[in-house]
Amino acid sequence: MSSLDPILIVLLYASLAALAAALGVVPHAVAGRLPLPVLGWSNALASGLMLGVAYSLFAVEFSAGLFGGAAGALLGVLFVRLVHAGTGTTDLDLNQLDELDPAYGYQVVLVNTLHSAYEGVAIGVAMLVSLSFGISMAAALAIHNIPEAMILTAIVAGRGVSLSHAAALAVATNVSQVLLAIVTFAVVGALPVLLPWVVGFAVGALIYLTLAELLPESYREAGHTSIALVTLIAMGIVVALGGGAPIQ
Amino acid sequence: MIETLAANETLLVFLYALATALATGLGALPFLFVRNVSDRFVAYSHAIAAGLMLGASFGLVSEGTVHGRLETLGGALLGVLFILGTQRFLAGYDEEELMFGAVRGESARRMMLMMIVMTVHSFSEGVAVGVSFGGGVTLAAVITIAIAVHNVPEGIAITAVLRPRGVSVPRCAGWSVVSSLPQPLMAVPAFLFVEAFRPALPWGLGFAAGAMIFMVLVELLPEAFLEGRRAPVAMVATLTLVGMMLFQRML
Repeated sequence: MSSLDPILIVLLYASLAALAAALGVVPHAVAGRLPLPVLGWSNALASGLMLGVAYSLFAVEFSAGLFGGAAGALLGVLFVRLVHAGTGTTDLDLNQLDELDPAYGYQVVLVNTLHSAYEGVAIGVAMLVSLSFGISMAAALAIHNIPEAMILTAIVAGRGVSLSHAAALAVATNVSQVLLAIVTFAVVGALPVLLPWVVGFAVGALIYLTLAELLPESYREAGHTSIALVTLIAMGIVVALGGGAPIQ
Repeated sequence: MIETLAANETLLVFLYALATALATGLGALPFLFVRNVSDRFVAYSHAIAAGLMLGASFGLVSEGTVHGRLETLGGALLGVLFILGTQRFLAGYDEEELMFGAVRGESARRMMLMMIVMTVHSFSEGVAVGVSFGGGVTLAAVITIAIAVHNVPEGIAITAVLRPRGVSVPRCAGWSVVSSLPQPLMAVPAFLFVEAFRPALPWGLGFAAGAMIFMVLVELLPEAFLEGRRAPVAMVATLTLVGMMLFQRML
């Protein structure tokens, strides 16, 4: 392991996390068209993992630098807000299974690509903190990518896209995750002073997009109690994976 | 002599913990400056409460995992089960029978649940206070100020849920203090029997976090999204959460 260049290690784990997205088509292959509550629960699972990842980063964030972390979080929130407003993806619902407007199609792909990019930043900084933290982060995001891909598949399958193409599309939208993981790892590795800022950026971006884009629609797809339970279990999974451990 | 000293110290712990409970009432004060209660006010105050409680829970979990990761997770599970049980219990009552002050029905149910969640979570915090005093009361003043300041956002969270439903600001302050009264009550036994209470600490911290996060996900966020637009609600909640994390780290 130690003989591998660190950047190749980041490439390896980020790619595995991105490839996990292909598993999102499996439920469709087995069960056919998924009922709406199942999509709501997938969304809640994705949300909980995201909040858990943000929590783990929080545990490192401010020990690295209090104000850089907070300022970075503020930038993260504003960045996501502005980019999603600028690309017309604010208030985009990922549950319009019968919506065949071409604009909706590209917006869905775009928003998935953007989400993955922020996740890539999270993997990149986590790898800088420590290898084991980076691996647990990549594992949490790999699991997160599966329900995310399930929702994407439900939307594109409704438009007549085959499952193998949907799997390829799900992985393709996660290529931004691999790219951003490597760029973040290289840039912040070279300029360690950026570390608290970038950790803060990832925390702010991930929490904001979970609250603005993942959770609201899941409440409309399934009952509040089941959504809250699934989200909490997912957060628990991240804590159990070792997220938020004190950094040596 | 030694006995009186011990008795005095115990009284001191109680008084310090009582002072921190009173500080919770300060959280109602910012609401003096809000005149009319609109839908948007309801949405944003729920978003603020959600951010404060999520931030507080993140802090509780990270402290809990230092004492024991699995115990913290076990405690969180118990916290969720407790809230589910309480919800079932409250649902057993006729909507019109439930009253919180002059409020009835669905609103009264949510207000009661909020009070129960915040009061129960104060038990765990009381234990944390008592155990941290267990090292000696030399740092007592510092710890007291830190906890008193930390209680203010909890008063804000409670007022944010009660105030939009017509409870007056002084009453919100009163309810906030009530929610923190378990702190002095639990701090004393935890201080006297530190060794017995220490193993319970991660369970208690996890319990408090699980109950609060569940309350946020099942009641506060859905209500906020119902009354306001998604992007600004998420913005307010996220910034409050980040502010709360920063605030906890500065203490």
